[in-house]
Parts: sequence; structure tokens; C-alpha cells
Amino acid sequence: MLPVDAKTHLTPAHMPVWTLAICAAALLVFFMPGLGALLVYDRAAIAQGELWRLVTGNLVHLSVTHLAYDLAAFLIAGTIIEMRGYRHFALLCTSAAMLIGIAIQGLKPELNFYGGLSGVVTAAITYLCLQGLTEKGTWRWLCAAMLAGLAAKSWVELVPGKSLLAAVSTEAFVPVPLSHLTGAASAILLFVLMRLSASMGQAKTAMHP
Amino acid sequence: MKTTGISLFTALAISLLVVALFGGCATGATKNATSVVDYLFPDTKDPVVTPGIPVLTLPVRVGIAFVPSGSPGRSSRYGAGGFGSFQGGNLALTEKKKNDLMQAVADRFKKYPFVKDIEIIPSAYLKPGGSFANLDQIRTMYGVDVIALLSYDQVQFTDEGTLSLTYWTIVGAYVIPAEKNDTQTMLDAVVYDIPSRKMLFRAPGLSHIRGSATLVNQSEQLRADSGKGFDDASKELIVNLDEQLAHFREKVKERPEEFRVVNSPGYSGGGSGGGSIDPVSLLLLSGLGGCFLWMRKRI
Repeated sequence: MLPVDAKTHLTPAHMPVWTLAICAAALLVFFMPGLGALLVYDRAAIAQGELWRLVTGNLVHLSVTHLAYDLAAFLIAGTIIEMRGYRHFALLCTSAAMLIGIAIQGLKPELNFYGGLSGVVTAAITYLCLQGLTEKGTWRWLCAAMLAGLAAKSWVELVPGKSLLAAVSTEAFVPVPLSHLTGAASAILLFVLMRLSASMGQAKTAMHP
Repeated sequence: MKTTGISLFTALAISLLVVALFGGCATGATKNATSVVDYLFPDTKDPVVTPGIPVLTLPVRVGIAFVPSGSPGRSSRYGAGGFGSFQGGNLALTEKKKNDLMQAVADRFKKYPFVKDIEIIPSAYLKPGGSFANLDQIRTMYGVDVIALLSYDQVQFTDEGTLSLTYWTIVGAYVIPAEKNDTQTMLDAVVYDIPSRKMLFRAPGLSHIRGSATLVNQSEQLRADSGKGFDDASKELIVNLDEQLAHFREKVKERPEEFRVVNSPGYSGGGSGGGSIDPVSLLLLSGLGGCFLWMRKRI
């Protein structure tokens, strides 16, 4: 059922190694609170030079429900990406995590602590859907529908200032839609760069066959 | 003369036997403790302070401190009989260990979004028997509303077993582990709301260590047992503290008549933020995942 021309964007399908590794890391951090304290996004500690927290904060979760939702979503999105062989997934996760940390540092000065993988999950879903749009058949339409749903959800989160999570959750922490937006932006950026790079490569080949 | 010689020899033998037997029954104990009650309610016959209803202004600033020792009679040792003098009293709760424990406690608090800052208060700022007046000073100095007071109570018992008779050979004192040690430790974290004088919750950590040592290395072994006792009790305290913090959060929600919660201006439950996927997105994604699996089957 895989569209023929999609194979140009694929590498051989394999085990979702990165997905499992990141999930394992998040679980480890959650069940070792000392490690969580060392890795959580902590504005004061970052100001004192602990810059790794900008990235590693994404691995820290603040409750079991928080962890369960994020891991379930990441497991699904990451597994599809890796099994379909979409490239640069590790690069996507790393760059999204970094950009999310930087965005919170710069644009959310009232936030002292931050934790959660959802920004990276949003990056993964966006990337998955964008890659899906380049394919043909049912998968393309499914990805388009998912992307539209994601955009609608982001709009609900941003415009009325009300998170869907906040509406149903009893969590004490504040949802941070900025992390989702930054994640989506990182995915779009990586996707565009990949397309540009591929186009330039094709142009070079055409000029010098 | 002959009769007198026999009597002296007999008397000497009996004396040695008595000393040896009593030596074998020697015992001793050392107690090192600090007490939250002694600190908060010193020299008070009726240690009752009527607490008010705590008003928790979120996000709260939390202080962590060890209750000072120094109250007379809180550290004591006693012993009876025995070969060597009692070697107890090797309290292994060094400043580094205290600091590590306070840091671990701080890490537990840090996880919660209703905690804004955590201040580790140096022991020097707490006066023995300082009571709430001292806590008020700390509140002013550090701007903390809630304080976690840590205290400890460690008792070490030593007994000489029957094998201590071998000490008479001198070599026995070096090679036979006839000293039986028993170390019981309790660490306690009590969390108070300073303005209302109300205890919010407490979490204990306990440890019990049994060991043995030769007469010569008894002091070293007691010190090691003391250190291990504090390490084990710290671990248990941290686990209990996690539970109590979670329980307290629920209690505040369930019993608004006991705890009033006020949000600081500009505080909307945050200070801490979480990036979390909502159920709708997860549902959509699950649908996509299902389709992916279905399509793979059809390939």
C-alpha cells in the first residue's frame, strides 16, 4: 500500500530505536526523582550555567498522567516515523527540544520550571504529517486530516487561551502551548530544509548528469 | 605459710573469674538527638500553641533547616562494666551529610508547581530553643512561609558477648568480634506553616542496624554503623516525604476549611509549566496509528 514515489524519502524500515530510547530515558528520569531534579528546566539553574536543562527538561514529567499521555503519543508518532523510514528523526527530536528550551527561556519569563515531552511529540506529529503529505493514496489524506486536526487544536489553545488539557485535567501545572508551537515550527523548518536540500541536489544532478 | 599461699592463689583465681564474668556482661549506649519539640517549645511546661488556619499564598517559598542541637541533655552516653571503656558517640551525621539530605528534600519540593523557591537555611541561623520567634526571624530574612524542620535521633547500644572472655588472651581483643552493636536511627521532617504555627505534615525515616566488632575496632565500626544508619533513614525519609507531599496536595484540595489557598498576583497555578499532550490529540494520533497498522497488514 506504500505509494511508489514515497520511497524516495524513505530509508529502510527498522526498529523504532530512537523512539524506544527516548521513552526509556523519560521513564528512567521519572522513576529517579534525583535525576529529574538535575535535568528539569529550572530557570535559576540555567542562569547559573546549567545549560543542559534547556534540552533535558523535555524528558522530565511532573505526574504519572503527564508521563502517560506524553509517552503514549510519542510512542505512536515516533514508531510510525521510524518504521516508515522517514529520515532525521533523531535530529528532529534534538533540535525541537533545544528550540523549545530556548523559546521558553526567551518568551516565558514567568515560568521557573518546565517539564514534558509534548513539544517534541508535536514536532514528531507535524513532521510525520508533512512527510505523509508528500506520499500518495490514503496515507496522504490521513496525514492531511491529522495535520488539520493539530492546527485546529493549536488554534483552540492559542486563541481562547484555553488548553484542551486544562479543560479535562486536574494537573496543577500550567499547560504551555508555546512548547507545542515551537515543536511544530521546528518540524516545519526541518522539513523545508530537507526539501530545499533535495531540490538543490536534483538541480545539481540535472546540470551535471 | 603453705596454707596462706593456697588461699592467695584461690582468691586471685576467683577474683579473675568474677572480673571476667562481669566483663562479659558489659553494656553501654550512646544517644544523639535533636528535637523539634525542644526547638519549638523550649522550657514550656504546657507546650501548646494554638495554630491558626494556614493561608498558603501560592507559589510558596519553602525553607529547609536542621533543628539545632545543643539543648542540654540531648546527647548522652552511659555504660556499665566491661573490658574497654565504652567507645560509642561517633555521630556520623557530618555537615556534608546534612547538606546532602537537605538537598534531597529540596529536590522533592522542587517537583511541585506550587513551590516557587527553596532556601536551605544554614544551621547557624537557628538558635537552640529558638521557637517560633526564631522562625519568624528566618521568615523575614529569607522570605519563606513554610519551613521543613529536620531532626534526628540515633541510639547506639553495645554489648559484650561471651566471646569477650577471649580478651584475656590480648590477641582476642584484636581478632574476636565479641562486641555486639545495635544502632537505631530516626530522621524526621516536620513541615510547618510559620505564620499560622500549623504543622502541615511530617515524614519520618527509620533504620535499624545490627553488627559486631572486635574490641580494638569497635569505635570505627560504630562510626560506620552510625553513617549507614543515617543513610538508610534518609532514603526512607525521602520516600515517605514524596508520599506525604502528594497526600498533602490532595488534602488541601479536599479540606478547604483547614487550608486556605491564595494565588499571588500574576500566578495562575504556574511558576511551573508542563508540556502535555491532550486527550483529543492522543485520540487522533491513535486513529492514525491504527490506520498505519491496518495499511501495513494489507501490504
